Amino acid sequence: MESEQQSKPNYLGVFAALVVLTATEVAVTYLPVPRLPILIPLSITKAVLVVLFYMHLKYDRRLFSGLFLIGVFGALAVILSFVLLFQPPLLDVAK
Amino acid sequence: MSDIAAEHPIEPTSLGIDNRKLVVWTFIASEVMFFTGLIVTYIVMRGRSTTGPYPEEALSVPLVAINTFILLSSSFTMVTALSAIQRGDARGLRRWLIATAVLGLLFLSGQAVEFTTLFNDGASLSSNLFGATFFTLTGFHGMHVFVGVIWIAFVLARAFRGGVTKDNHLAVELVGLYWHFVDIVWIIIFTVVYLLRM
Repeated sequence: MESEQQSKPNYLGVFAALVVLTATEVAVTYLPVPRLPILIPLSITKAVLVVLFYMHLKYDRRLFSGLFLIGVFGALAVILSFVLLFQPPLLDVAK
Repeated sequence: MSDIAAEHPIEPTSLGIDNRKLVVWTFIASEVMFFTGLIVTYIVMRGRSTTGPYPEEALSVPLVAINTFILLSSSFTMVTALSAIQRGDARGLRRWLIATAVLGLLFLSGQAVEFTTLFNDGASLSSNLFGATFFTLTGFHGMHVFVGVIWIAFVLARAFRGGVTKDNHLAVELVGLYWHFVDIVWIIIFTVVYLLRM
């Protein structure tokens, strides 16, 4: 897929964002706030940053994004299956 | 295609994509499901141990936070290695690949220290459900890092022989894809296993 943006991503900027997000995650565990709704989005943001910029999915052929998304949907199916199978204990430990 | 996701001189394929890159992305897609299975199994089983040690008392965040920083740094050095060879800087490629492999080994050393501490505290694959699922998950991840280091070593050997150039650097891109994926798995493990341990 021809990318409109030909300039290279700011790899150092992405790295800085990853470090800041990780530090924020660790800091959150010391604060009296609910962890799950803050930490999971932060973690997913970090993963997306790596996929888009370090693995170049943002700039690469759409086919690779499609392949990766098939894996992600499969993963969501795995999570859903486990939630349905083990719902009460899962909710207990994930609070 | 932009030079960021590089195009390579290949034999024509029906998709117009190098088969090797297609294989690596397909493999990564399967690995997403594989590691999700391990992570969710851990979440479900960790609270079901009838005897200790339990995750909230056994797991230590500070050491693992350092290890996380090491692995995040290794992703940066890996992408910098690719960037170097895309500019034709073969020396930079070798330097950054060596840095990545060293960081990978440092991560594994940190994991060895952590595992040793956990063993001494009575946690093992057979201690309880927490131990079984924790060591299966983190052990498989560590094994992936180890395989990544070996893969980097092969690419590095090729680079030293002059087999990786500005116009022929798919080997670096492929090992990079794998390495970044292993980093992503750790990003999720760090949050789910260590930060959400209670």
